[in-house]
Amino acid sequence: MAGDNGHEELRIGVYVCHCGSNIAGVIDPKAVAEYAMTLPGVVRATDTLYACADSGQNLIKQEIKEYKLNRVVVAACSVRMHELTFRAAVSEAGLNPFLMEMANIREQCTWAHGHDPEGALEKAKDLTASAVAKAAFLTPLQMMKVPVTKRAMVVGGGVAGISAALDLGAQGIETILVEKQPTIGGTMAQLNKTFPTMDCSI
Amino acid sequence: MVDAARHPKVDIRTYTEVERVDGYVGNFKVLLREKSRYVRADRCNGCGECARVCPIEVPNYFDMNLAPRKAAYVPMSQAVPLVYNIDLDACIHCYKCVEACGKLEAIDFSMKDKLVWEDVGAIIVATGFSHFDPSVMPEYGYGRYPNVITAIEMERLNNTAGPTAGNVIRPSDGTNPRRLAIINCVGSRDKHFNPWCSNFCCMYGIKNAVLLKQTYPDMDITIYYMDIRTPSKGYEEFYDRAREMGIRFIQGRPSMITEDPETRNLFVHSEDVTLGRVIEREYDMVMLNQAAVPQPDVDTTSSVLNVTQSPGGWFMEYHPKLRPIDSPNDGVFLAGACQGVKDIPASVAQGSAAASRAGRILHSDQWEIEPIVAVVWEDRCVSAQGKKCGICAKACPYGAIEYEQGKAAHVVTAKCHGCGGCVAECPHNAITQMHFTDAQILAQLHALLAERPEEKILAFRCHWCSYGGADLAGVSHFEYSSNERGLRVMCSARMDADFIYEAFRLGAGAVLYSGCHPQDCNYITGQRLGAARAERLMKAFEKMEMTPGRFRVEWISAAEGDKYARVINEMQAVLNSIPKEKLMEEIERLRPEMEKRARRLREVPQVEEALEYSRQLEIAMVGEEA
Repeated sequence: MAGDNGHEELRIGVYVCHCGSNIAGVIDPKAVAEYAMTLPGVVRATDTLYACADSGQNLIKQEIKEYKLNRVVVAACSVRMHELTFRAAVSEAGLNPFLMEMANIREQCTWAHGHDPEGALEKAKDLTASAVAKAAFLTPLQMMKVPVTKRAMVVGGGVAGISAALDLGAQGIETILVEKQPTIGGTMAQLNKTFPTMDCSI
Repeated sequence: MVDAARHPKVDIRTYTEVERVDGYVGNFKVLLREKSRYVRADRCNGCGECARVCPIEVPNYFDMNLAPRKAAYVPMSQAVPLVYNIDLDACIHCYKCVEACGKLEAIDFSMKDKLVWEDVGAIIVATGFSHFDPSVMPEYGYGRYPNVITAIEMERLNNTAGPTAGNVIRPSDGTNPRRLAIINCVGSRDKHFNPWCSNFCCMYGIKNAVLLKQTYPDMDITIYYMDIRTPSKGYEEFYDRAREMGIRFIQGRPSMITEDPETRNLFVHSEDVTLGRVIEREYDMVMLNQAAVPQPDVDTTSSVLNVTQSPGGWFMEYHPKLRPIDSPNDGVFLAGACQGVKDIPASVAQGSAAASRAGRILHSDQWEIEPIVAVVWEDRCVSAQGKKCGICAKACPYGAIEYEQGKAAHVVTAKCHGCGGCVAECPHNAITQMHFTDAQILAQLHALLAERPEEKILAFRCHWCSYGGADLAGVSHFEYSSNERGLRVMCSARMDADFIYEAFRLGAGAVLYSGCHPQDCNYITGQRLGAARAERLMKAFEKMEMTPGRFRVEWISAAEGDKYARVINEMQAVLNSIPKEKLMEEIERLRPEMEKRARRLREVPQVEEALEYSRQLEIAMVGEEA
């Protein structure tokens, strides 16, 4: 129904992370996995101690093949933390990286509701179901490749900017160092000697 | 400094400001304003004849206005590049400089500001910091008592290249002070002004004390401190050395400085924590170690360079531990104190780190970006049917949509940054966003509201800010109601009114519409599009007499975890305050109107399938009765 071409059978795998005690200290990841198993399209759901560790990633990769998964849901931490990790993992198992969806049950669940384990469990189930629902409609996508202009700009000619510009220059990259004052040097140039070596600032 | 000037690959543009940045990672276009110096850099040899003959004197910013410069000037003799400037605001057009310059003919009063576009693949932001102005603290008398000076003024006085050639004198009478007090944490670690520790001031105060002690061995120097913080390599040893040199350290934050109007000497009133009593000591001079604060134009820099701010006005890194150099804007990196106060060794290190991060991109022939772009369903676009529209093109902050009546709108993929504004604005649901399609979002929405929706707070969050804020609430363990159910899109611009209507149709207790603060938006004006829509929604719900607070609009940055938690808890309090029967009655009363308003969503490709899937999901979640 909701596959790449509208006809492929959905085979979603759900991996619920313990994150040591970060998640498992508040809720039971097994309960979330068992719940996920009842959702339409889910053919495999299990918990894992650390989804991001080699063991967790290997489990996902191996089961993509074993269960012929065509969508993966990882219920773990924030997408800002590990979305790229799990995209890479599913991709290594031959699945398009955009067929992976995360449910944030750590930062936005167990860490925020540490004193409300019941509410946290209910929320973790809903967030996982929401990720499963999105996964059902994911389509494979290709990263877009853009050309790169091999020049850099550094805005600010103080000690940090000068250091960046010199290093870029040394890498052979043409660098424009922009400074709004008439001279570079920034605050550093105004200083007498600098600690702890007491050398001249300029 | 001279290394940079000498480096064949480094092109220094001083007296130049960034006006505008377009483009994206690997392909930025930056508009620079090279301000007119009225001296031609290619002809000036830095001889300084123009300054010698110039009759006008104005205060020199570089010397903290303690000394004058001419209207024809360089800020300091070691300026890089050594090119003179004519300050036209001060100039009286006597043209003596032109005469003095003679055959070089470097001075050119007809020069105009030059606007230049530069193509670059990566940008490093290293705009630094500014100094807290202690004159807003009347208890220390800065600006009123001549012998109370700031640390950076001391730097200029105690500098052989400075206005007194390194002779440290009292501004009141030109004598050398015998007794000097240095006060730390002026405007820092002070909730009235800046809560942060300014990082380098402990070492900086000690450094000045040591330097002065070396030049003036008889000078009696006292440092007033709250805590001495010397954690880096060699710093504690330096502090030991200062104590061995006889510099006095008093733990206590001075409450007041008074002045003897005759001698202009100063009395510092303070607690001495070690002695456990209040003390008063007389000094000839007081140096205030003032806080480091963001640059005064930080908001402009933020919006021009598209970098967001942490609390206090420092530029925000993508992740404080894992990606401390990257800004949230791909291809833009942060270095030095603009990202947060740091000393010279840390600034140099961060500069190098930023060069290395930028190098990853600049040494690649191609860079990959996420394909979460907008796509037009040509058969649904009314323009293709000859009707006038173009709403999508107006909504796009990047000018990425080509619209011509009679043809379907076309998204130029390379220009599209994926905010989803056009998708939400299109009145005919003729555009979708990859990875954030209507069907995907709708399926999520239904799952989140499958069970007891009236108890739920559905929170729409943008990826860059409010999702980050919710993350930070969790990281900081700021607890909030577990009835919250979050749904992430890339920008508030993507939060289609239809989704909000659909959420209420499904019986959501409350809906939060949240995103970045306007100046933080990762998509230039995406937030404004979202904000305007949210305002229209708010008005519509007021008209429908929805209980105030059930729909809430909040702009929450990734640094505002506390705010995210507070907003959710306040929304929970609103829900708690409505009796259940009344809430259910209101939900039922509004349902037909919500249904009417959300009906067009059902025309969108794949949405019927999403609804069918959601029905099965709901059965799985709550049983057949759903």
